[in-house]
Amino acid sequence: MSGDQIIDWLQASLRWGAPLIVVSFGEVFAERSGVINVGIEGIMLFGALAGVAISFFTGNVLIAVIGTLLLGSLLGLTFAFFTVTRKTNQVVTGLMLNLIALGGTNLLFAMISETRSERVATFPVLFPESFFDIPILGPVLFRQPLSVWIALVLPFIASWILYRTDWGLNVRAIGDNPQAGATAGLRVLKLKYKTVILSGIFAALGGAMLTLGEVGYFASGGMTAGRGFVVLAAVVVGGWDPLRTALACLAFGAADAAQLRMQTTGSAIPYQFLQMLPYILTIAALAGVVGRTRPPKTWGAPYDPEDI
Amino acid sequence: MNKTKEKQAFISLPGIGELALSGVRPLIGILLGLLAGAVFIALSGVNPLDAYLSMLTGAVGSPVSISNVLVRASPLLIGGVGVAIGIKASLWNIGSEGYIYTGALGAVAVGIAPLPVPPIIHIILAILAAMGVAALWGLVPAYLRAYRGVNEVVTTIMMNYVAMFFISWMVHEPQPLAEPGSFFPMSKIIAPTAKLPILIRGTSLHPGFIIGIAACIFFYLVLRFTPFGFRTRMLGANPEAARYAGVNVRRQILYVLLIGAVMGGMAGSFEIMGLKMRVFQEFVAGVGYECVAVALLAGGNPLGVIPSALFFSALKAGGATMSIQTGVGAPMSVVIIGLCVIFVIAVGYGERKRLEKLSESEQEGEENTEAKQYVR
Amino acid sequence: MWAKDVFMAQTDNEVKLRMEEITKRFPGVLANNRINLDCRKGEVLGLLGENGAGKTTLMNILYGLHHPDSGKIFIDGEQVKIESPAKAIQLGIGMVHQHFKLVEALTALENVILGIPSDRPPILDLAPARKRLLNLCEEYELYVDPSTEVWKLPVGKQQWLEILKALYRDARLLVLDEPSSVLTPAEGEQLFRAVRKLSQEGRSVIFISHKLGEVLEITDRITVIRDGHVVGTVPTKEATQRELARMMVGRPIMMERKSRPIVSEKEPVLVMENVNVNDDRDLPALKNFNLTIHAGEIVGVAGVDGNGQRELAECIVGLRKRTGGTIRIRDHIVDSVIHDPSFVGFIPEDRQKTGLVLDLTVSENLVLKDFPRPPYTKRGVLKYNTIREHARNLINDYDIRTPSGEVQVRHLSGGNQQKVVVARELNAGPVLDIASQATRGLDLGAVESVHDTLLSERNRGAAVLFISTELQEVMSLSDRIIVLFRGEVMGEVEGDGADVFTIGQMMLGQMAEAVT
Repeated sequence: MSGDQIIDWLQASLRWGAPLIVVSFGEVFAERSGVINVGIEGIMLFGALAGVAISFFTGNVLIAVIGTLLLGSLLGLTFAFFTVTRKTNQVVTGLMLNLIALGGTNLLFAMISETRSERVATFPVLFPESFFDIPILGPVLFRQPLSVWIALVLPFIASWILYRTDWGLNVRAIGDNPQAGATAGLRVLKLKYKTVILSGIFAALGGAMLTLGEVGYFASGGMTAGRGFVVLAAVVVGGWDPLRTALACLAFGAADAAQLRMQTTGSAIPYQFLQMLPYILTIAALAGVVGRTRPPKTWGAPYDPEDI
Repeated sequence: MNKTKEKQAFISLPGIGELALSGVRPLIGILLGLLAGAVFIALSGVNPLDAYLSMLTGAVGSPVSISNVLVRASPLLIGGVGVAIGIKASLWNIGSEGYIYTGALGAVAVGIAPLPVPPIIHIILAILAAMGVAALWGLVPAYLRAYRGVNEVVTTIMMNYVAMFFISWMVHEPQPLAEPGSFFPMSKIIAPTAKLPILIRGTSLHPGFIIGIAACIFFYLVLRFTPFGFRTRMLGANPEAARYAGVNVRRQILYVLLIGAVMGGMAGSFEIMGLKMRVFQEFVAGVGYECVAVALLAGGNPLGVIPSALFFSALKAGGATMSIQTGVGAPMSVVIIGLCVIFVIAVGYGERKRLEKLSESEQEGEENTEAKQYVR
Repeated sequence: MWAKDVFMAQTDNEVKLRMEEITKRFPGVLANNRINLDCRKGEVLGLLGENGAGKTTLMNILYGLHHPDSGKIFIDGEQVKIESPAKAIQLGIGMVHQHFKLVEALTALENVILGIPSDRPPILDLAPARKRLLNLCEEYELYVDPSTEVWKLPVGKQQWLEILKALYRDARLLVLDEPSSVLTPAEGEQLFRAVRKLSQEGRSVIFISHKLGEVLEITDRITVIRDGHVVGTVPTKEATQRELARMMVGRPIMMERKSRPIVSEKEPVLVMENVNVNDDRDLPALKNFNLTIHAGEIVGVAGVDGNGQRELAECIVGLRKRTGGTIRIRDHIVDSVIHDPSFVGFIPEDRQKTGLVLDLTVSENLVLKDFPRPPYTKRGVLKYNTIREHARNLINDYDIRTPSGEVQVRHLSGGNQQKVVVARELNAGPVLDIASQATRGLDLGAVESVHDTLLSERNRGAAVLFISTELQEVMSLSDRIIVLFRGEVMGEVEGDGADVFTIGQMMLGQMAEAVT
């Protein structure tokens, strides 16, 4: 592989990994508090569509982002209502949310836009053009749009919140032993709602980054292509730690970028195996073959305040 | 104490009440789902009644549409009953996508070979191959759950994606199964001896749905009338008591999850031999998850899978007509399905917990009064 | 003889806590019946009582987890309403639960500060908290490493952590619920030193335990609760073991001893030698346990709940692995689960959790262990006719009150549910019967019927192991009685003419020789 190809691949890796990192920001908090939001795939889809649609109608990326965040919080709230208050099975609820999103976004997209491939305003590039010629870092880093930079910063923020604040401590506590949290005076249900809404917000944002990041349009029927599940995989492989999860996201983004390139150039290893990688790693991590930490004790289990 | 006895009588009365509660629950959920769907349809500017009506005509309006429904129902019936057995054992086997993929692969591998055997043999061999491959596939999450306690939900979902990519690889040149020189990645076509007969000329109706219905009945009988079924029900209701009663819990979990895999594989084989004739890349497209939804709606009851699967297929088949006649997009039917399932499980959990708490607190109340009396 | 209620101190200043006429009713049971209790500043008050006596409820009320139906609570002379644990903490009440409320994934320090808003929000201020915690460790000699995750800490340290949590919040009144149940003797000593220091500082301690030795050693006064009311409060100096046992366990013999024929041939059926078994926390539950039960005899196991009874029953039927020793039933060495009711009949402690499958019908529960064998299964198919017939017979013979055999067993009353279990386990005439808390939650009639059944089993020639926390029925039913305390046998007495005070003391940890 030539140097140019490698640089191109690195650049693409960041571009593909960035949305994953963004989505994982919220999901880590949700899972740490004991809720698996399997629906992030669906919320990403809604976010992708909303981002494009609002940007199309307003011509303003910022408004599109805000609108997407609002939508994400609404969806997160809905998911929280069903899984935290009604205590439905989190995975099933999430899967159905994905189904609804798949159908729903197709419908809405058909309704909204006739011109399928008209490009809309996208995230701006941060650095001036003069930076682009710096060898390696130029194309790989400085040329990236704002969305990628956001993604690079978020894991550190998440880490800080999770390990250095009261709130983060409380989240970690209730995911492991909500009864102990309740006895210590924590409002367990309220906390869960907050983390789930957070996962919704950032899943939507991540989805918007897919369309607004560079592409600029929405293609019905496959914008997210299972990326939500890749994020779930990354969280497991990353041991539910924000920084390690972000690394896993980057790795999976790199694999994604690589397999795309391999499809056209052809190579010894079938590109499909790269596609499989996140999922196989997840199973391996859960089986204890790879990976270090255990999931939060109440991972996926509903909390009943009356179980003292 | 008399008061508690009275309360007991009230609840005991329903050998009926029990049934009603368990039967009504999903219906309420479906109703809510349809209502929510109606709201969305209305929001898009169409009269919901018109929409649902056209859906109905699209589903059952003519012999062709009915045959469509039955064709679509085939994988849902066969695959769904496998998931349902799991639900009865309180196991969430979400891996149907993967089982259908791998089962299809197995069927195609045998199907494309020009074997000098009568069709019935060829077909049976293909089905067996499909079940075998799917079983191997399902062994991973099944073993991890049974013997290592690893949550089967996440592992089965992950295996779905691995299966999809694996099949994608297998149908790309230069793999032996791939069709050379095709635009779209797909496998070679199966031999004529491996094709299922069409039941009504002019339609795509193959015997899959019959097998599906038979499978549902079969598994219902197994659940009700065999020791294996008894153990499954014990496991689902109270694993601790099952252990105390000498059931090998781990083995039971393994078997139940493998059944889900095998049935999913069979569903895949029928899709290939009855409908598609080849394995296309990403051909399953969510049907596996629909199997799960079907089983959930049926509450895990194998007999209930029959109406559930038909309901789903009708929704999907009618969706196309609805879109033509009223302009509501076809994907709306998938949306409605999702809504129905969510509402069914939301309603269901509430009821169950309430019932449990009721009997528990009564027991406790009794216990304490009577224990105290005794000690005095 | 004893002043029934040794009430308040001379001046209200000295009283830290007063609970007056506390009454609490749950559906169908009077858990606390006009309880009066007080604790002075700097005093260590022992709270003695069996499980179900009401002390847990009382303490939960004190900690704001329950609200009393009537009665008043006074802290430092002022009446208070304790609506929640947060309020209790505010009032300076600290509770150390028997089952730890610790978040195992977090470090010790993080557990201590959980729920306390930091001084510099939103930042977690660990440094000053760590210093404070270490100071506390020093002061009370309860050393815990603040940076270690709780799941890595041994159980003793976890106990210290629970106490430190309360001290960190400057609790002036600490409630310790069975604090030494998981401690080694050395750790127990450490605990006592800490408690003494607390007392010297003027903090009050309520010490809940059923271990007589400890209670006598560490407390200033002792309040005994039984059946929801206070039996009496005595100064520790003036208490004797005998009297305390009497107060805790009840009035002398109320239950008639069942008459029985003398059984001559006494061949051993169950032989347990040097058995060691761990509980779910991997702590020893049975220590070098020896027991032989012969055909035609009932051996009763007395003791306060939680001293190894459950583990004993489970290891005999093979549900729990031994870490040492052997168990033989007739010629069969126990190494796997026994689920053949014609060999061993096992009535487990918790009928709803382990004895029955509530969602299945009565008939199905009656064949819960037998169903794969003929005549209930023939050629791979369950024969429901046979199952139903079998059920009809048992329902008749054991007088199980149910509308029919096809009703879900969850609809039966507790007593009838137990009858289903008894019928299933004992009807086939096993050589060994194990009854673990078999009469829990049953009305008098049902209890009688269980007793009669067990006695006729014995007369038939079965070996019967009868485990119960209700001393009266153990004494009424058993040919021999052993007393279980912390996994060891405190002593063995003949059932005929056994003395309740003696047994009571053994239940509280006194070895047979030390009994006065």
